[in-house]
Amino acid sequence: MAIDRRRIIEALSRVSVAPSEQGLIPAFNVYVNQFPAALWNGFAERLTRRVGSDLLPVAEHLLVNAAHECGYHTGYGIITSEEWKAVVGPMIERVPEDVLHGAFAVFTAWGWAKSEIVELVPGEKMIVRAYDYYEADSTAFGTTRKPSAYMIRGVSAAFMDLAYGGQYDASGKTGLNTFECKQTKGIECGDDYGEFVVTRTAAA
Amino acid sequence: MATMSQHMELAAEFDPRSCRHLIDGQPYVLHCHHYAALYTQLAEDCGMLDGKRLLAEVAEDTFYQVFSGYFRKHGIESVPDRIAAAEEYFRITGMGILKVLSAGPDYGEVEIPSSHLDEGWIKKWGRHDRPVNHLGRGFIASLFCAAFDRPPRSYSVTETISIVCGAPCSRFEVVAE
Repeated sequence: MAIDRRRIIEALSRVSVAPSEQGLIPAFNVYVNQFPAALWNGFAERLTRRVGSDLLPVAEHLLVNAAHECGYHTGYGIITSEEWKAVVGPMIERVPEDVLHGAFAVFTAWGWAKSEIVELVPGEKMIVRAYDYYEADSTAFGTTRKPSAYMIRGVSAAFMDLAYGGQYDASGKTGLNTFECKQTKGIECGDDYGEFVVTRTAAA
Repeated sequence: MATMSQHMELAAEFDPRSCRHLIDGQPYVLHCHHYAALYTQLAEDCGMLDGKRLLAEVAEDTFYQVFSGYFRKHGIESVPDRIAAAEEYFRITGMGILKVLSAGPDYGEVEIPSSHLDEGWIKKWGRHDRPVNHLGRGFIASLFCAAFDRPPRSYSVTETISIVCGAPCSRFEVVAE
């Protein structure tokens, strides 16, 4: 594999996100925002801790879905951007496997999660490990039984959609949700790292 | 994120060990309008609890920490200076343009002529029949609490007209609780 994670992280962690005169940040075909991580964690944790055990799966599904759609559309914007073409493009030998590895280097560079693919079965399965991620900050002391990395789950599944789910569909009607992700380990749960297993959805 | 602007001085850095983006030592993260719009839709449609209130309160708590810490660190005491800093923060985080038209300890009027949340919602789903900027309501509440040295939940904020409904700008009324 020719993907040089260190070089990608070094280069793309410096990408600036300057707002326009309207205070908007158009980039990668989307509007970007840059908020404290505590905002996203706060909503996810208060929601999932308040809804009760019977509605918890529904709340978690909706949180993962938000990241899944975000990862699908923004991910496509990233892998078709000039920045990507300049930095990652020359490293790509195998498509889409190298694209996937590169995407997780960008995922790391942007501060979403210090993560990498540790196992990839093309078209079928991917295992991602995250060694540092903001969603683990929801637990400041001790450990919890409830994994909290909804964003990583959604974005990891979205990246597999982009790699193996068919042509990108801006409407999201096809291509999206061909994969799903389960979190099997979490720093917030006391593990050394978060682990995420992505597989094809039953319907796909 | 600019490290310095006319009204705010923020230290932005990338920590290569953790791979986190830190601003004034706090982790920040880039997300897109899809994410913000879907969180908002989740709050809107949440039948399990009052999701709109929850989202506004989380925003209020988050930005209150930012503003109260920033004002303390930089010794910003006057209300106009505090408002100017908050307006600038709104812009540089990509939330849009926010203008405080009037502010007192008991009331305020705020205008948002450009809104990440509304523009993102429209780009994703088109116009809506009611205001959806609960993040903005929370932001404004935090601004007033920090500006007037009140604790969170000291103000109620109502979005009276909204870009997402077709208005040229969004307006908010602020009243002390």
